[in-house]
Amino acid sequence: MKVLRLPKERLDLFASVLQQFGEVHAPVEQNGKYAFRALSRWSDARLDYPRTILPPKKYFVPPKDTLFQYKEGLGYVPADLAADRRIILFGLHSCDIYGLNILDQVFSGKYDDPYYQARRKNVAIIGVDCIPDEHCFCHSMRADFVDKGFDLFFQDLGDRYLVMVGTALGDDMVLATGSLFEPVTPEDLAEYKQRSSAKRKAFKLHVEIRDLPEIFELEYDSSLWKQVGDRCLSCGACSMVCPTCYCFDVADDVDLGARSGSRSRTWDSCLFSTHAMVAGGENFREGRASRVKFRYYHKQRGFVAEYGRPSCVGCGRCISACPVNIDISQVISQLRGIENATA
Amino acid sequence: MHSRHKILIVDDDPDFSQAVASFLEASGYDVLQAADGTEGLKVAKAERPDLILMDIMMRERTEGFFTIQEMRRTPALKDVPIFVVSSLYAQIPGFRITPEASWLAHDAFFAKPVDLTQLLEKIRQRLAETARKEVAP
Repeated sequence: MKVLRLPKERLDLFASVLQQFGEVHAPVEQNGKYAFRALSRWSDARLDYPRTILPPKKYFVPPKDTLFQYKEGLGYVPADLAADRRIILFGLHSCDIYGLNILDQVFSGKYDDPYYQARRKNVAIIGVDCIPDEHCFCHSMRADFVDKGFDLFFQDLGDRYLVMVGTALGDDMVLATGSLFEPVTPEDLAEYKQRSSAKRKAFKLHVEIRDLPEIFELEYDSSLWKQVGDRCLSCGACSMVCPTCYCFDVADDVDLGARSGSRSRTWDSCLFSTHAMVAGGENFREGRASRVKFRYYHKQRGFVAEYGRPSCVGCGRCISACPVNIDISQVISQLRGIENATA
Repeated sequence: MHSRHKILIVDDDPDFSQAVASFLEASGYDVLQAADGTEGLKVAKAERPDLILMDIMMRERTEGFFTIQEMRRTPALKDVPIFVVSSLYAQIPGFRITPEASWLAHDAFFAKPVDLTQLLEKIRQRLAETARKEVAP
């Protein structure tokens, strides 16, 4: 892998040249929170953010996605996926890149999702490293470091970045900037190792996952699920903010007169009361406790069986977003029988 | 009756902007002015100028770059000729917008201090070229 350095004072120039590859989106601050937005000026970017409200999945699986339209006389009209619109997501943390790698497995595994694929191939990923806060446990989920899924990755070394080139596109981005980048020095490497070590020690939240699927098997009938279910509001916020939750509902909107309409898919959540309802009215997870349990089992047990790893990336968004402060790390600790843990 | 061409100057230096505006108005153009990229984009969308003179280093040193890209993403503005007029090369030695680099969708680059006669000639040429393209079948 090619590794270079970029003095921080040149980052705005790099971002300017980068625009030839697409529209630059980065985390911007809005009312004390952060969200990925298209940049009107570089100074709006906040690369030292803790986490965004919504994860980057909104670019690939939008909250509402029109799949096609149908009109009398025209028949089927495919959706305009704006496939020629190129975007650069600048500032993804490792956990979010790890999350995108998981979504890639889901949407391009057994069945290729053409809507996801059309957007995915037009988005470049530039990662930046971060300092964990009190909700982060990506280190426990092995998502605090990624070796793929990015075009460039910026490691903060104080007054400069160590830049890892992940793809040919990333290399093109570097070459397009002329002399902005410099060779790495031994001092840069020493600083990187020191900061990497300091970051590992900075995590406050730890979740042991090594035998977690087995614990979930053994605690299938635990009373803990009713306790958590009684607190849960089934609002679905955790699903909305999760980088790897991908459930969607599909519905037709038929125009008045029934001569045209459209089919869309929208974000869904296994916590919603009708998520497991089937035709005829049978609801396989009518109680909140069963729905909460399902979500945990999917993320930490079922996904492991299907894909070999949990789909939770430890970003902490669900902890941050839950209106009743359900903390996944505490739920897991309680399941393990760790004293003084409260879900 | 032939209407005058409209030129928008986007520059945070009011003295420079006014000096160029006065020269261009005396040369037969209607001139609009904007003091930063945000205002420039707003005025451009509302007034649809025939040509834009864009400074780069305004409230921040790369503001003009981002403004140009945003204009190019705006359907009504994507074909409007943009001339960059900037002291960028003097301020950031070693950083160049080379002619072969297509990363900045501009039509010409003028380093400040700008030769107004040359600028005027280039404006006339570019607007004449635009007029020929509009007339051609």
